[in-house]
Amino acid sequence: MKNPLLDDRDLDFQLRAVLHADALLTLPAFAHVSAADLDAMLSTWRRFARDVLLPTYRPMDEQPAVLRDGGVVCHPAMKALWPQLVDLGAITASRPLGVGGQQLPLTHVTAGTLYLMAANLSANGFAGLTLGAGHLIEAFGSDALKAELLPPLYEGRWTGTMALTEPQAGSSLADVRTRATPTAQGHFLVSGAKLFISGGDNDFVENVVHLTLARLDGAPAGTRGISLLAIPKKRRAADGSLVANDVKVTGLIHKLGWRGIPSAALAFGEANDCHGYLVGEAHQGLKYMFQMMNEARIMVGANGVATAAVAYQQAVAYAKDRVQGRPPWAKDPAAPPVRLVEHADVRRQLLRQKAIVEGGTALVLRTAHLADLAAHAAEPAQRHDTERLLSVLTPLTKTFPAEKGFESCALAVQVHGGYGYSSEYPVEAWLRDQKLNTLHEGTTGIQGLDLLGRKVVADGGEGWRALARAVEAGCVRAERASVPAEWTRGVREIAGVLEEATLALAGKALEGDVPGMLLHSADYLDAVSTWVVAWLWLEQAAAVHEAPLRTAFHEGKLRAAQYWLATELPRCRQLAALCVAGEDSYAQVPEEGW
Amino acid sequence: MPLKILVTAKRVEDSESKIRANPAGTGIVLEGLKYKMNPFDEIGVEEALRLVAKHGGEVVVASIGSKDCHEQLRQALAMGATRAIWVNHAGPIDQLGVAGCLMKICEREKPNLAILGKQSIDDDQNQVGQYLAEWLGWSQATFASKEESLDSDAEKSKTPALKLTADGAWVTVVREVDGGLETLECKLPAVVTTDLRLNQPRFSKLPDIMKAKTKPLEELTPAALGVDVTPQLTVTSMKAPPARKAGIKVPDVAALVDKLKNEAKAI
Repeated sequence: MKNPLLDDRDLDFQLRAVLHADALLTLPAFAHVSAADLDAMLSTWRRFARDVLLPTYRPMDEQPAVLRDGGVVCHPAMKALWPQLVDLGAITASRPLGVGGQQLPLTHVTAGTLYLMAANLSANGFAGLTLGAGHLIEAFGSDALKAELLPPLYEGRWTGTMALTEPQAGSSLADVRTRATPTAQGHFLVSGAKLFISGGDNDFVENVVHLTLARLDGAPAGTRGISLLAIPKKRRAADGSLVANDVKVTGLIHKLGWRGIPSAALAFGEANDCHGYLVGEAHQGLKYMFQMMNEARIMVGANGVATAAVAYQQAVAYAKDRVQGRPPWAKDPAAPPVRLVEHADVRRQLLRQKAIVEGGTALVLRTAHLADLAAHAAEPAQRHDTERLLSVLTPLTKTFPAEKGFESCALAVQVHGGYGYSSEYPVEAWLRDQKLNTLHEGTTGIQGLDLLGRKVVADGGEGWRALARAVEAGCVRAERASVPAEWTRGVREIAGVLEEATLALAGKALEGDVPGMLLHSADYLDAVSTWVVAWLWLEQAAAVHEAPLRTAFHEGKLRAAQYWLATELPRCRQLAALCVAGEDSYAQVPEEGW
Repeated sequence: MPLKILVTAKRVEDSESKIRANPAGTGIVLEGLKYKMNPFDEIGVEEALRLVAKHGGEVVVASIGSKDCHEQLRQALAMGATRAIWVNHAGPIDQLGVAGCLMKICEREKPNLAILGKQSIDDDQNQVGQYLAEWLGWSQATFASKEESLDSDAEKSKTPALKLTADGAWVTVVREVDGGLETLECKLPAVVTTDLRLNQPRFSKLPDIMKAKTKPLEELTPAALGVDVTPQLTVTSMKAPPARKAGIKVPDVAALVDKLKNEAKAI
């Protein structure tokens, strides 16, 4: 059986019945778009993902890129895939018409991208990084820089990267050391080393542009002294030709997953001839990066969901097909064995995956929908409010699909039993791929600090209140749709518990006990994510109750909602108690006690 | 001389949907079905686009059905067809009705070639192309296929498998026959029906998907074409094939031979 990657019924249900996303098309920004355009986009991406991308996934996983004669040689499949991904609009679908994009709603583009990611996240990764690099230049670059760099990036003639990490500065970007010295010609001479640069080089396009964080000479220390530079692998010479720009690939990382896209170590300016071009103003680099972070983090969440989804689909198909054993109470050893899906514990494993995958999908699409409204809603007040909610949800959208998605991928392996552990079956590869999502674009630890230390307490708790209002609106929707009253009650009760905990933790900070506030930030993130996903399951249940017909798909939705509300939501209470009590086990282990 | 090619884009049930006969046995269960362009038609659209890319001209795509089939017309337009003809008809229609409508469209449009799927994957009739050629009095080549070649995939996706003669008056068609390939030359105008190995249809580019809605789509009806599409065929019953029975174990070879002889009557 061909893996469908995601359940089409679910995407359709989430976009139409839960989010009513086609209503975005009434906004002036999308006046040029019809619902039929979006359907055609989705169905084309879907087919391409299933028929073309997925068959290349395993070969690319098994044969990673290599460094040869100073250049990176990618899997040969990329040469054929890349122009097709470009034509499909994988880079430009959401970009404005004015820069050659199609200006489609991010909500629908994200839904389509889920298929590309589920089929071959590495291949799509090149497109995602090129989009990210282009978007930074589009948002902050000078007109001259845009004219030079945007067309080749958005037309897919060049690719882009995000060159942030250095050997000594991973999560801690304040410690970036790459230097940029101004010249009389206007460009900067760059020197420094970068590490873990995804898509850091390739052999299927003529040039690569690295969006790089660096310090200008004399810049202040810390985060206030970091600038953003565009550094091409080849720069434009006076005669218009492309010449080498003293950017060297010094090595490739051997890694657990995402093996189809190289992760490179780069050296800039070993021969003191690496030209960089300042993007926007000096010392604003980190601010620019953070403004882009929302979309980048939604995309990490989407990767998490997509990877868990494709593994879940594989597990479902296997469980429905594979015959193994008999129920524990079956007495007759000669009775025919049953399919895996008939075993109670396998059903639990499958339902847990479904709850994570579809709950994660709801979270990712909701966040993308908020990003559309924050950018394009008619009323400034609505844009402001959505922006607020978006900023609170972003660390959850980044983390939940990554952390729970890893568990979900592990369950997909579990459903396969010993075969799942073997590389004859594809599920082990998705488990490996999934791990990256808790690490890049800000680790889970950083997301916890961002949520508790920054987002919910922003402007005297406005962040928390925006989230609480959104959840309450979901509860009202569920009540109107006659969803079982105890489900709605459960979500409301935990809203109260978490609000109290948030107030108590904010209180600690006000009393100067910031370490006490943040001691359990990871548990706080877990609790709020679990509750937010419970809210989104409640809204999905509401959409089922609102539907005129009840199908087996709807029945499955209600059971997954029931599962999440009954088994996961109650955990929030205990997590909140740990946060408030300041349970201090990890803080108190002495150095020699580890 | 620029070419004009008529192609078809029938809306059919997606073979990835679960297709079941309804309990009354009068048809299939429609609830929850997904639809797509008949894959044989899609191959026809692709081949027409390659021919036009080589020789110039236009590709006109036609579909018969309710407004839902706009989705398939749009797909053909996004792939590169120039304009669309929609025969608006909601009720049942059989192969005679379809061929009748297409004949009238061919009489109006006067294409050099009509390229149709050899059959549609819903009813698997494999008749429309043959009726159409016969009624128009055109030459026909069915089951158009492709000779194996050592070209790269990129090259293969550009080259048309159907070849026009230098004077543009004939088309050479390689067709699949039992145990091999046969080459026919047909005088134009001609009807060609496509087999699965003819080509790999392209994926539409996103900018072209966005442009598809601006391309002309003409609405016609069977009545306006002067075709009576009242079905001449009635489906009397539809049912799933019987489920396979569970196997049994026989104690010895003698019992097996006995069963094969007397029950299965296989020997």
